Amino acid sequence: MLTAPDAAPPARARSWQEVPLPDIWRQARPGVRPATTWYRIDFDYAPGRQPGEPWALYLPYLSDGGQVWVNGAPAGSVRESSETIHIRWARPHLVTLPASLLRPGSNELAVRVALPQDGAAVGFPRPDIGPLAQLQPIYERRFFWVNTTPQITAAVCLLVSGFVLFIWWRRRIEVLYGLFGLAAGLWGIRTLTFVIETVPLERWLLWRLTYLGATGGFIVAMAVLALRFAGIRRPWVERALAFYWLLGPVWLLAGGAAVEPLVNRYWIAGFLPVGLAIVVISLWTMWRQRTLVAAVLPAAMVIAVLTGLHDYLVNWSFGGAAQLLLPGWAGHRIFLLHHGANLILVAMGGLLTARFIGSLAALEGMNQMLETRVADRERELSANYARLAQLQREHAAAQERQLIMRDIHDGLGSQLFVSLSRVERGDMQGQQVADALRGCIADMRLALGTLTPEDSDFRATLGDFLFRWETQLRTAGIHPAWTIDVPEGALEVKPHAALQLLRVAQEALTNVLKHAHASRVQVRLRQVGDLLELQVEDDGHGGAAAPTDSGRGMNNMRARAQQLGGRLDVRNGAEGTCVSLQVPVNAVLA
Amino acid sequence: MRTSVLIVEDEPEFTRRFSDAVLADAGLNLVGAVSTGRAAKAMLDAERPDVMLVDLGLPDMNGVDVIRYAATRYPKCDILVVTMFGDDQHVLASIEAGATGYLLKDAVAERIAASIHELHAGGSPISPGIARRVLARFRIGPTPAAGPEANPPSAEAAALLTERETELLRLTAKGLNFETIGQLMGISPHTVVAHVKKIYRKLAVHSRAEAVYEAGQLGLL
Repeated sequence: MLTAPDAAPPARARSWQEVPLPDIWRQARPGVRPATTWYRIDFDYAPGRQPGEPWALYLPYLSDGGQVWVNGAPAGSVRESSETIHIRWARPHLVTLPASLLRPGSNELAVRVALPQDGAAVGFPRPDIGPLAQLQPIYERRFFWVNTTPQITAAVCLLVSGFVLFIWWRRRIEVLYGLFGLAAGLWGIRTLTFVIETVPLERWLLWRLTYLGATGGFIVAMAVLALRFAGIRRPWVERALAFYWLLGPVWLLAGGAAVEPLVNRYWIAGFLPVGLAIVVISLWTMWRQRTLVAAVLPAAMVIAVLTGLHDYLVNWSFGGAAQLLLPGWAGHRIFLLHHGANLILVAMGGLLTARFIGSLAALEGMNQMLETRVADRERELSANYARLAQLQREHAAAQERQLIMRDIHDGLGSQLFVSLSRVERGDMQGQQVADALRGCIADMRLALGTLTPEDSDFRATLGDFLFRWETQLRTAGIHPAWTIDVPEGALEVKPHAALQLLRVAQEALTNVLKHAHASRVQVRLRQVGDLLELQVEDDGHGGAAAPTDSGRGMNNMRARAQQLGGRLDVRNGAEGTCVSLQVPVNAVLA
Repeated sequence: MRTSVLIVEDEPEFTRRFSDAVLADAGLNLVGAVSTGRAAKAMLDAERPDVMLVDLGLPDMNGVDVIRYAATRYPKCDILVVTMFGDDQHVLASIEAGATGYLLKDAVAERIAASIHELHAGGSPISPGIARRVLARFRIGPTPAAGPEANPPSAEAAALLTERETELLRLTAKGLNFETIGQLMGISPHTVVAHVKKIYRKLAVHSRAEAVYEAGQLGLL
């Protein structure tokens, strides 16, 4: 090698030094300011079986560009930085060596390695010279890893970031999403620096600022994320991390391009303990939670931090540490951090997706629980209603019972007591006693008839009542007939109301039997509009209406009609008597 | 040929009342008046009366058992159950056991004799309440228009009761009297009560068959 700014290969006679390749400037010449350097390599050209097969020079990296000369003639060049543009190549280079320049046997290759703009000299890799067909796949593989992969990574990171930040924007409470979105976005921006290799000079500083800010921001965001994931909330730690993050870019801004190597070297180094802290916190989280999910992130973090450490060492080769640990490898300058970081992003994305799915499941579970509760409540409520209705029914039934009991007490009871008293006084003759007792039995039958629990159809109740009367009337020579004219379907009358209706009918029929001297009696039950009408009509001489001793009976009938909210009409004429009771249907229906 | 009558009644007052009514009627012949179920069975075996008047509340057994005994052994014997109030439940239980008529305890002497004659002549009384219950026992709704799907007549009931019998029960259940029913169906009141007696006999057979069927189901037979 020879340090010289010459535009063409310096003469062989000059003070060339022999160096092993790769020749890493900072390692080989620590403390010496980098400069444009020429490397000269002698190699043998042996044309293959196919004549004219092209040969090529493969350079894994040539960060700042340069020129390739063969046997003193230019064979190709890689663009160098200029006054207007700043270039840092991440990609490998493959330079085809024209067959015309090669000669069988020994050949001389000279490569000019351009001076890096920011003074961050890199060095010269171990090149490969050989048939193009052999070198092409090697070149393409490296190109894929150092150029295509970052492109994909940048695109995916920015997309995911936008998506996750949108979620966070809509749901501010999901801070983890916000941090992840931020980290992914910053990583995407950082990765862009590997994709965009040429930058106009006036934007170079801004570009490096962006790079540093994104790198630092990514690490800080990951650190906060790890803390939050572990359930640790230390605002001052988070503030300190944010402050340190700003420190690098501010330093670069204040010092200009000249301080960039220092910023790179010392500020970035400061993130190594942060990375280690992330690993420790993550391992602690994993230890506490002991789930596969909890293990994913720390594992990815460890790998990423290790790759970061690796990259740092490769870049700066501290005290030859990298050389000691990985001799020969460092010279390849293969940076691993963005693959490691991709791993973290994938792990994080997986975890957040798992969280998202978990949330959905929890939501569904909650919905289900809610539905069950609502159903339970509904059941309880309907049970309550049923109980209430039952109570109401029982109450109504109790009331009905009470009414009928009072009726029996006042009617049958008093009749028995009055009869007893009269018999003991000797005031009643045999036939009168029998009549009184028959009256009591008839009363009792009425009460029993209307109290039959399951039969509440008044048509049947009245039918039974008339059926019992039929024999009695026929025996007395009175021809009975009855018609029931109510709408189809059961006529559900309240038991007490039924009892009142039958009492009226009983009274009327008793009067006919005793006083009317009739030959026919007609009983009619019909519903006219809102009124239920019960009619007892005979063809006697009118005695059924106003016999002296049944005035009380008539009054009784009127009182019962009033009780039912209806009225009693008695039509009395030479052609017979008609007792007509009209009550509102609503008052008697159950 | 006078109709022989057996009276089964544990209340002496009513034994006397019924006996007097039977004795007073020239067409009736009182073969005995007993007060226990055991005695009733013995008299049934010995005398084979044409008509038995039986009270339900006997000191040694339920009157229904005596009715069942008579109905299964002496199907020609007409059974008249004595009831205090003519309440449907007791009457129906008696009919299911084999009774074909019922008599109110307070009936006057003429009515008692008339009831025995009517029953023996082939007719039975039926009140609307009992008609409803009989329909229910045959699993036929009282009002077919209300919902034939809800309460379809079972195949056996349909086979047991004729259409006219079912119609008669339905009209009775609606509270119509025999005269009206006879007019509606174009038959005499006498035929109406004859139908009723047939229905009662079918109900007894039906309920016995059901009891046998249920016993079989329970593994008793």
